[in-house]
Formats: sequence, structure tokens, C-alpha cells
Amino acid sequence: MTSTKQTWQERAELQLAAQEVLYREARLLDERRFDEWLDLFTDDGVYSLPITLSDDPREPALIRDSKAGMEERVFRLTKTLAHAQNPPSRTQHDVTNIEVGDLRDGQLEVFCNQTVHEMRTGDVFHVGLAEPRLLTARCRYLFVPDSGWRIKEKTCLLIDREYPIYNLTFIF
Amino acid sequence: MTPQKFSPGRTGILDDKVGDLVIEDSGRFRVHSDIYVNQEIFGLEMTRIFESTWVYVAHESMIPNPGDYCTATIGRQPVIVSRDDDGQIHVLFNRCAHRGSVVCREERGHASTFRCPYHGWMYRNDGSLIGAAQRSGYPEDFGEWGLRLAKVPRVQSYRGLVFASVADDGESLMERLAGVRWYIDAWCDRSPQGEVTVPAGAHRYEYPGNWKMQMENGVDGYHGNYVHESFAHILERSGERNATDITRARNRVGSRNFAKGLHHGDGLLEREDGMLGTYDTRSVPEYREQIAEAYGRERMEEILTQRNIFIFPNLYLFESHIRVIRPVAVDKTYVEVYPTTLVGAGAEFNKARLREHQRFFGPASFGQPDDIEIFVCAQTGVNVDAMPWMELSRGMAREYVNELGETVSHSTDENPQRAMYREWRKWMTSEEGLR
Repeated sequence: MTSTKQTWQERAELQLAAQEVLYREARLLDERRFDEWLDLFTDDGVYSLPITLSDDPREPALIRDSKAGMEERVFRLTKTLAHAQNPPSRTQHDVTNIEVGDLRDGQLEVFCNQTVHEMRTGDVFHVGLAEPRLLTARCRYLFVPDSGWRIKEKTCLLIDREYPIYNLTFIF
Repeated sequence: MTPQKFSPGRTGILDDKVGDLVIEDSGRFRVHSDIYVNQEIFGLEMTRIFESTWVYVAHESMIPNPGDYCTATIGRQPVIVSRDDDGQIHVLFNRCAHRGSVVCREERGHASTFRCPYHGWMYRNDGSLIGAAQRSGYPEDFGEWGLRLAKVPRVQSYRGLVFASVADDGESLMERLAGVRWYIDAWCDRSPQGEVTVPAGAHRYEYPGNWKMQMENGVDGYHGNYVHESFAHILERSGERNATDITRARNRVGSRNFAKGLHHGDGLLEREDGMLGTYDTRSVPEYREQIAEAYGRERMEEILTQRNIFIFPNLYLFESHIRVIRPVAVDKTYVEVYPTTLVGAGAEFNKARLREHQRFFGPASFGQPDDIEIFVCAQTGVNVDAMPWMELSRGMAREYVNELGETVSHSTDENPQRAMYREWRKWMTSEEGLR
């Protein structure tokens, strides 16, 4: 079944359901509820921030996490002294331009844009702290509606992915 | 990036005082904090170091075919590294001979000509001027004025690493690299075919701090237990290494883990057991066999010793990557991290290597961002005038000079940094640097 064969009501329902998860994800990240964020993903879920659009395995990515990698990332944020997150980032994820794509083999493709306002807390006088930054990306999600709308893929294409980035140690 | 917090630190440095910013006396070695915050010192560094010495500009694999180009900077000056139709590499200043516009605005690509966006002057990829638009406005002898994209006077490669020097003369690249060549060879020979390439993508980061923070840090074996405590706990959680073992291994005196200061300000960290816990290539039997077959067992041990190699002033060769330091301002630096592919070592092996590399390196990784955070911490701290000296004295009492003239000490010692600053002082005060 593809989106072109759906009625607009069916599409609106899918969009609303996807939007609900996307908003929830944004809030969980902004409230630093990282363990609950992990639960949004399927066990074979992938979270990636590519640098190039190439499939060449020699190409590096900013992030290419399996579920285990995501768990490691959350462990670093919550259980270790990570200097780049001490003091931690405060974030605000804004989700816009949500667009439902194809539903194929039980997986729904959803596009959206995300803008993350990020700021390290701490002493305002110090270089690098208390300075709001903007990071923005075009995102593609694969949801599995039949598994409670869990996320199988989250791919964020940062606008400045191949350019110098200061600190990406929070979760985009 | 948001604007810098501090408007440029101190200014004003008397030329004849630059040498006094590095002090070496009985058992102590210190550098003055002005070198991280003073605008004029930064300006002098650009002309006397970056625009006087050999600097790394590109890897040959970034421009494999005739017509390929990439851009770079030498100090503050933009350049194009181009491979002409005959395969020869040129480093051309990216400036139209007419009215100063850059002629190439992409970072990488393929072009047989460069066209100035202002008045359409055209140049070949060897820099020669094809022609000016509406040529009739110039006299007959226009072609003899010598107008072209100016060439960086000296360009030489060693094992795929392209270096350039803005100085018209001076020692050759081979003379310059004499003290570090053996280590470059070992680094390249991690490929069973002796060939290393870089992919199209790279990790790049910027930080609001001085470039020398990165210069000092890559061969600093002292910070690991403190800055990378987070990574040690990650390795412990995954069952790869015990965090306490990592700490002990780094502290152990009498191990075969060395810091070395080389000639020309180069230096390295050499560790027999690559203590980071990143993908340990030595533990992959098929790879070991390949290296042993290609170079022999004895050489294999030399090749597979983990090293962080610094080549003054802007290049690092790490086990997994090439790192380039690009100073932007006294308190702003770009760093580029190009993960390498070891040609002939197999796709799966290289893939696993890259995966582990990304775990520690890059702006979203679990290691490198913690280093950068420290550079930034220091950039605020060095504004304190009450204690303006940086102590780089660690290990001075136990270092020794080996038969090659290298200073050798425990891997946590600061002898590589002392080598850097002796070289820094040499160029900042020498006649050669004063050109």
C-alpha cells in the first residue's frame, strides 16, 4: 500500500500519529529523559547523522548508532564525566514540515525538519558557555506503526554536516 | 558560531621580546599565556611560521585524477591544490591577478580551468592565464606582463602527503622531514601495499580557542586519565577494558610507552599497547599476517606500534586518521579529521576500523569533544595575568637524548611540547622567519 492510494483522512491519521511520536521524542530529549527516548526505537533501530550521501562504507558519519550505540551514548551522557557535557547542554527541539511518505512492508516513511536550539549552561563569562546555538536538519524517519509506532530509522541531514561543528555531544 | 566572548586579548608585543615568551632554565620550561591571546603574536605566527615553513596542504588521494582540485590555506592565504592535465600537482594562490577575487569557491572538484567571477579572466589548472575578457583594452605586450595565478614557490610530496612552502628557498622537504620520515613510513606501511587514502567526507570541528591548544594536545600522554575518563568507563561498560587497568597502564613507569621530541618541532607519542581501547588492529590475525607477509615479522612490530605523530606546525598522523590544524584567529581554530583507508587491508577490516574511529573522534564522538572542551576551558583561563606562565616542565629530569638526537621520556612527559616551542621560538625570532 502506498500513500497515493490512501484517502486524505487515512493520511491525516497517519500524520497525526507520527507527529505525536515526533513531538514526544522532542520533549523526552529536551527534558533529558534519555532512557525513555531509547524506548522509542525498535531493537534494530538506527540513529544517524551522515556527512555525505554516499553509501560507500569508507565514508565517515557524524553519528551512525545501532541501538547498542545509542545506549552507549545515553550512558556517556548520564553516567560518566563527559567534559563536553559538563555543564550539560540545554536543548529545544522544534519539529516542523511533517510529511507522510510511503507505507511499505509495515514501515511508514515520514519526513520532517528539525531545528535544535542548544546552549551549554554554566558561567556566562566563560568561552563556549551560555551561548545559544542553532542546529538545523532535514530528517527522515521510518516508523513501524504495528509495533506501537516505534522508530526503526532516524536520519538527520544537518545543513552544515560537512563543515566545522563545535559540539554535537548532546542528542540531536 | 556566536560571537566571541572576549574581544581580542592583549595586544602589543615588542618584536625583540617574542623570544622571551618561551623560557627554559634549570629544570623548568615555560611559555607565556600571551601566545594564546595576543592578536599580534597570532599575526607573527602566520607570517613567520605558517608562511615560512613547509606546511601540509592536502593528501594526494583527495585529487587522484588530472583536473581534480581541492582548496587549502597557508597561514591566512587561500590556495588551490590542483592536478593538471599531465598529472602534476600545483599549489596556486586563489587570487585573480586582475582585481583580487578568488577564482575557485568550492572546496573540492574537477575543473580544467578556473574563471574569475568578477571580470571573467580565465586560468588553466596549472595557473597560467588563458585570457582576459575584452582583451583589446590592453596593449599588445599584455601577454608579457607575467599575469597568472601565482604559484606557491615550493611544492613537494612525501608518500601521498603534499606539503608547500611560501618561502622561495630553504631546506628541501626531504631535509625537513629527515627526523620524522621513519615514522611516516611506518604509518603508511600499516597498509600492506604502503598506500593510505582518505575518503570524500571528513570530520571537521571548530573551537573558540587558540590553534596551539590542539598542537600540544595530540602528543600529550598525560591528560588521558582525566580528560578521557568518560571513555574509559564506556570501555568498562562494554567489557572491553577495565577503567582502572587503563589508568594504571598510562601511569606505569618502565613500560615501553614513550613520548618523543624530534627535530624541527615534530614529536610523537608511542605506545606499545594502544591504550585507548579503540579497535586494536594488532589483534586481528588476518591483518597481522598481511603485514608480516608484506614487510616481515620484525618490521611488523615496528609498524603496528601505536603512534600519534606531530609534524610542525599543522599536521598530525594518528593510527586511524590525518588531522590538520587550521588557525583562523587567535581564538578560533578549525580542525579537520580525515579517517584513512589502508589500501589492500580489506573492506571489512577498514569498515571496522572506521567504526571504532568514529566512536572516539569527531564532534559527536565519545572522546575528542572532551579534548576540545579543555582547549576552551584554557582559553578563558589564560586571560588571568597573575599567573601567566604555562608549565611544560614535566619529565625534564628523566628525559634523555637517544642516538638519533630525539628526546625520549615517559609517555606522560612534556618533551614533545618542549620540542614544539623550541621550534616555535626559532621561527618567531629567526632571520629566516623575519623575511
